[in-house]
Amino acid sequence: VLSEFRKRVDDYVKLRKRVDDSVPPLKPKRTAEQIAEHEQALAGKLRQARAGAKRGDIFTPEISAQFALLIRREFRGPEAPAAIRTIRQGDPVSSISLRVNQTYPDTLPVTTMPPTLLLKLPELPKEVAYRIVGRDFVLVDMTTNVVVDFIPEVMPPMRG
Amino acid sequence: MRRLSSLFALLIALALTAGAQRVDLPTNADSVRFAAIGDMGTGGRTQYDVAQRMAQSRQTFPFDFVIMMGDNIYGSESPSNMRKKFETPYKTLLDGGIEFYASLGNHDETNQRFYQHFNMNGKRYYTFKKGNVRFFALDSNYMDPEQLAWLERELKGSGSDWKIAYFHHPLYSSGTKHGSSTELRSILEPLFVKYGVDVVFQGHEHVYERIKPQNGIHYFTEGASGKLRKGGLRKSDLTAAGFDADTSFMLVEIAGDELHFQTFSRTGKSVDLGVIHRNTAAHSAADLPAEKKEAARNTPRSKDGKPVPATAGPARAGLPSPK
Repeated sequence: VLSEFRKRVDDYVKLRKRVDDSVPPLKPKRTAEQIAEHEQALAGKLRQARAGAKRGDIFTPEISAQFALLIRREFRGPEAPAAIRTIRQGDPVSSISLRVNQTYPDTLPVTTMPPTLLLKLPELPKEVAYRIVGRDFVLVDMTTNVVVDFIPEVMPPMRG
Repeated sequence: MRRLSSLFALLIALALTAGAQRVDLPTNADSVRFAAIGDMGTGGRTQYDVAQRMAQSRQTFPFDFVIMMGDNIYGSESPSNMRKKFETPYKTLLDGGIEFYASLGNHDETNQRFYQHFNMNGKRYYTFKKGNVRFFALDSNYMDPEQLAWLERELKGSGSDWKIAYFHHPLYSSGTKHGSSTELRSILEPLFVKYGVDVVFQGHEHVYERIKPQNGIHYFTEGASGKLRKGGLRKSDLTAAGFDADTSFMLVEIAGDELHFQTFSRTGKSVDLGVIHRNTAAHSAADLPAEKKEAARNTPRSKDGKPVPATAGPARAGLPSPK
């Protein structure tokens, strides 16, 4: 199941690379204007290329179930108190209404990812990252902040 | 016209020196000198005031670069906001050629890694060297296995005298809002101890706190360089010194085996001052048995390797630095 997940992520990265090659590259030492232009251009082209993308394209029901199991183990195991504390200490973001291909709002902070959870999850290529948004578990594009896919309400409630 | 220009220049000079803080750091010729700020990117009055103080302090303490412990920009990262919350407040320093080396906080977009003024070279985490000091800027929002493997490789391969790590989430903190990031500590501290990290700068908690050495490592929280949580520090057994009444910034000078530091408030008041002697024993302790490593790392030593007491203490305005 997890090798299928990796395959789907790799397919996304290949599509993304094709889109990336169609815009001027973003190199280090850029102005804020250049970064904003690149982000918007790339996000726009990604949305076009993934016009039919929907929730579950990467986190299929089987893959979602496997991730749910990994997450449950983390938050019921011996590292759970520390992981929950990490999330709470990191000014966790409350649930927002997510859509695939939406851009994660840049006015919102990011919830800190528990390192012990990251150790248990499948490693990702550098183009994408996991993110926790409220109780949703999200795959985001690292340069455009576009929501690639997500599993709704899989995170345990973080009672304050 | 010439008289008016001269009068204007005189007024500017007076404005800059009015209330200028006294910097009690050695300012040796070959030392590594930098400022440290965190949680600064509000675009508000207090950020601008701290930035002005930093610029003023360069008149007597010419630091060469600034390290940033994250939350560099709050809110939108539109170009106009980047100007308001970074380029304008630090314009004097930027125009003076001062380089800023940023790490990412939970309010920062990862695309800051491409921003020209943050010197991240397109990376979420990176390392750079200044003189005999190797700096490690980490992304504590997302401490994935790849970053940890990179960190261990870089720490292991570093032959620098000093190793300094900085990142956003504090491993040790007496702050009332967040407190110590114990999970992150369980992951990072063993690496820091194993490979002889000397000092850690951290942010996130909107106060200033100097932590007592933990397993031979000195920790500073400077998360009040724009944001402030007044009364947000509940001093604990961890606290060596703290300040939560106003925004602040740090000046640091590393000269040989000594790290001198001074922390200033927004109004130029010195709120902490001291010196850390590099624990030379720790860098050769890798092969010692566990109990001897612990003893070696907790004993500060002078250049000739003899144990000395820690000399960092509470701030007194105008306190001369040890020579």
